[in-house]
Amino acid sequence: MIGLDFVVDHYGIFLSAIFVFIGLMSLIYGLATNREKGHRLEFYLMLFLIVGSGVGVALSFNLLLIYILWEISTFAIWRAVAYYRGGDQISAGTLTFLINFASATMMLVGFSILYIDNGTFNLAGISHMNDTAAILIMIGILTKSVTIPLHIWLTPAYNAIPSAIGACLAGIAENLGAVLFLRLFTMGSYAAPGFFSTVAWMAIISSIIGGGVALRVNKLRSLLAFSTISQLGFVMLAFAVGGTYGILGGVLYIAAHALAKSGLFYGVGVIEDATGEDDMRNVACLLRLSPALGVAMAMLAGSIVGFFPMIGFFSKLTVVIGAVEKSAYFGIGAIVAAIFTLLYNTRFYHELFFGDRCDVYKLRAKRPSYTGVALTFVLAMVSLLLGIFFYQPVNYLTTGGL
Amino acid sequence: MNEIYYVIVVPIFFGLLGFLINRLRTEFDLVAFLLTLFYAIKIFIATRTQIISYNVASLIGIDFRFYADSLSGFIVLFNAIFAILIWLYSLRAMSKMPRERVYYLYIALTLSAANGVVLSGNMIFLLLFWNVLVFSLYGLLQVGKVYSSPAARKAITIIGVSDYIMMLGIVIFLVRTGNLNVPLETKVLFADGWLVVSYLMILVGVLAKLGTVPLHTWIPESAKVVPASTLAFIPGSLDKLLGFYVLMRLSYNIFDISNYVPLQLTLMIIGSVTIIFMALMALWQKDAQRLLAFSTVSQAGYMVLGVGTGMPIAIAGALFHMLNNVLYKSALFLTTGSVEYRTKTTGLDSLGGLGVKMPLTLFTFVIAALALSGVPPLNGFYSKWMIYQGIIEMAGRINIWFIFLICAMFGSILTLAYNLKLIHSIFLGERPKELSKVREARFEMVVPALCLVIGCIAFGIFAQALPLKYLILPSLGYGVGELGFWSPTLATILIIVGIIIGIIVYLLGTAMKPRRTRIFVGGEVLDEEAARITGPNFYSSLESVEMLKKTYDFGEGGAFDFYNYLRGAANGIAILSRDVIDSIIASAYRIVGRIVGMIGNLTSLLHTGELYTYVGWIFLGGIVILLFLVL
Repeated sequence: MIGLDFVVDHYGIFLSAIFVFIGLMSLIYGLATNREKGHRLEFYLMLFLIVGSGVGVALSFNLLLIYILWEISTFAIWRAVAYYRGGDQISAGTLTFLINFASATMMLVGFSILYIDNGTFNLAGISHMNDTAAILIMIGILTKSVTIPLHIWLTPAYNAIPSAIGACLAGIAENLGAVLFLRLFTMGSYAAPGFFSTVAWMAIISSIIGGGVALRVNKLRSLLAFSTISQLGFVMLAFAVGGTYGILGGVLYIAAHALAKSGLFYGVGVIEDATGEDDMRNVACLLRLSPALGVAMAMLAGSIVGFFPMIGFFSKLTVVIGAVEKSAYFGIGAIVAAIFTLLYNTRFYHELFFGDRCDVYKLRAKRPSYTGVALTFVLAMVSLLLGIFFYQPVNYLTTGGL
Repeated sequence: MNEIYYVIVVPIFFGLLGFLINRLRTEFDLVAFLLTLFYAIKIFIATRTQIISYNVASLIGIDFRFYADSLSGFIVLFNAIFAILIWLYSLRAMSKMPRERVYYLYIALTLSAANGVVLSGNMIFLLLFWNVLVFSLYGLLQVGKVYSSPAARKAITIIGVSDYIMMLGIVIFLVRTGNLNVPLETKVLFADGWLVVSYLMILVGVLAKLGTVPLHTWIPESAKVVPASTLAFIPGSLDKLLGFYVLMRLSYNIFDISNYVPLQLTLMIIGSVTIIFMALMALWQKDAQRLLAFSTVSQAGYMVLGVGTGMPIAIAGALFHMLNNVLYKSALFLTTGSVEYRTKTTGLDSLGGLGVKMPLTLFTFVIAALALSGVPPLNGFYSKWMIYQGIIEMAGRINIWFIFLICAMFGSILTLAYNLKLIHSIFLGERPKELSKVREARFEMVVPALCLVIGCIAFGIFAQALPLKYLILPSLGYGVGELGFWSPTLATILIIVGIIIGIIVYLLGTAMKPRRTRIFVGGEVLDEEAARITGPNFYSSLESVEMLKKTYDFGEGGAFDFYNYLRGAANGIAILSRDVIDSIIASAYRIVGRIVGMIGNLTSLLHTGELYTYVGWIFLGGIVILLFLVL
């Protein structure tokens, strides 16, 4: 019954490589910035648990195994969010845990129904799926991949979590839902009429609303949270439309978004540490603080927006091709969401790094952490290199040869 | 053919080297631009006789390939020429500007990407380079005379949004036809609605690059804040070359709009509206660079109009006009830059009487301005003439052709009007006191503009013998045939004869003895500065027309600005998302939390701690189980 079934395919390996890389970067960032006394070890334990469960889900082929790793990930996020032990942090942690756990339980019920129908937890053996099971599992998936209206836990979690693990949360833990969707639905046999297009429309609407909210919020981390919601909408859209382009685009998009968002998380962490502010209305002209950070964050924001030299371009392009292959209206929805992405990223970047009269602006800030700036820059460079040599990952994902 | 790689890789490679090794920057840049020019000439010569086309890679069903025919060769050559002229000019004009180092990197990057756009033989491949151009434009606009980041933000928003729309258009085209090569062997017909939509979507991206209404608004915005060389390079020359190139490919090599009248009309209406309204806006301006920016937009209208007619002569005229416009508009931008370099201002109110101090600049400026206004025998006249003829030839196909003709001609009159305003305000009239020590601009700054102006004259007088025969017609694949009844060389001779006769009459007459008297002043004696009449004063009668003034105020206030509407709409959706949808969801969660809490409170009422209560519950439960088992 509980078989340890693993699958080692290109998608899994590619995603694991990205996850481990982000975990490594976060470890370095954590070692450099984490000065907490007392429960410091908890930090590293949770970091490793998130990375491990991410790699596990990317490579496992058994529903029960996926569920166990999923819960490990939920637990680790809970402890990480509540790491600083303040009142806000603890309540944010509780909210995160409750919502994720409740939806994971529903998903477990769905898995049980699948087991009763098919007699196995192995993904290869699942051939019958009834609608109840699909809906229950979708609740789990959409909560993990923060699709509106199940996104409510993300903003408090982002505001409470330490930057280093936050990058892991943004880059690794949130993608588990999309990976499960890919394995179970996109590559599976479930084909209820209207299911995939409903998920696609949910993803598009979630993406547009997330982008819209990101255009209004002023707290840096809330902006990152809604940006994540808007970007994961693209991933879910890609997997919902499926096909060669859809799957390729979704996997590439996970990679592009994971790299860019963790880089932005480090950058925001550096800015918060240096200026002591978490609201972007209170800081400006940060290009003077650190030009390297400015360039790196411009590249990362460009990757999220999807400009060419960054990997974000090709992933967005493949997602749009996949969407238009299904229906041109999906493509239009995706482009509207992309326009919001452009708008909130330019706003975010300009409010932070430029401002009126920067020549006389009084910038009150400490020296930014070198490690943080360097890590942000490394992630920007990786995004850039993957973007310029997009031939390599695309070729690897489609044919298997490097 | 390796030259194609070289023109793309060489500029950015040496530009990057120059950026990293700042001490040798000028040398590296010189190598970059000269090498690119060399390879561009090689490509130009090679494409005269053959078509170069080869695959780089095939990936997920998309062929990434290069393609160069005579049109691409022509554009690549002029990309390289303009880059080297602008670079030469910037050497002096940009020295000691902040972020000078980045500026040269972006110029090199722009050249690379521009060559990539022209030489790519696949629309996705083209889109890659097109995206790099957004990045480099954003970077270049950040290098401002003053604080320029709002202008850069506006530019990246407008261009970015239109690029997304273009991407969607290309993807729809890919999915509908399964083929993305540029140009296509068999042109795609407008068989269903989605193909028309696809054409229009790609057109949005192209028009944003070319800078026509309503996607032009970042150009005047940035004209106030960035140096003249940037303006001459991006909106002045490269954007026109690239936008026109892709418009041609799109309209005649991928689709064929010449047999689909609605799209032709769309293009022609966009063109006419752009010509008229932007020329009117230009007439109103009080800043030389901003005026020229509006003029650039207005001239782009002629190109779109010419392409829209679908007549070979008008298409050739549009291509010729694009080339001419790039020549004289760059020259104008560069000369205003020279004026600004010496006077530290481009405000027309504070300039005047510089003609005596800066004779070479005056010469270049006047020739370029006359060419822009379409005064024969300069080049601007001939290309407009060809476009007019194309419109007249449409008579049998579109009934309202004369409206477009009237628009184009009226636009030409307005062009002359604002050019006279420019010449008068900068070079003629009274000179303000503080400009009495102005000297001629630096040699390095005069030469590029002078080269461009010599080009204007040569292309005008020998229009049929030089540019049309060797550049324009071969690029379009047309033979040298009937091109209307205008012989530029003969006309030039006649005009020169006319001028000589005029001079003789002038010398014979009494006009050579003007009477000079002092200005009579009654009452309070004003100082000279207060009595000075500036150039814009002559045009202040425009302001007295109430309706015109209102319209202009609207325009200046951003009422016709696509960007403002886009931001307004986005903000509306954002407020809806945040303050309505998101808070409804949040309160739904809160209500669920309340209900759970209430149930908890209710059940806690049962837990009183008294033994009898619990025993009672146990009995009650036992009865329920019994009933369940029995029934």
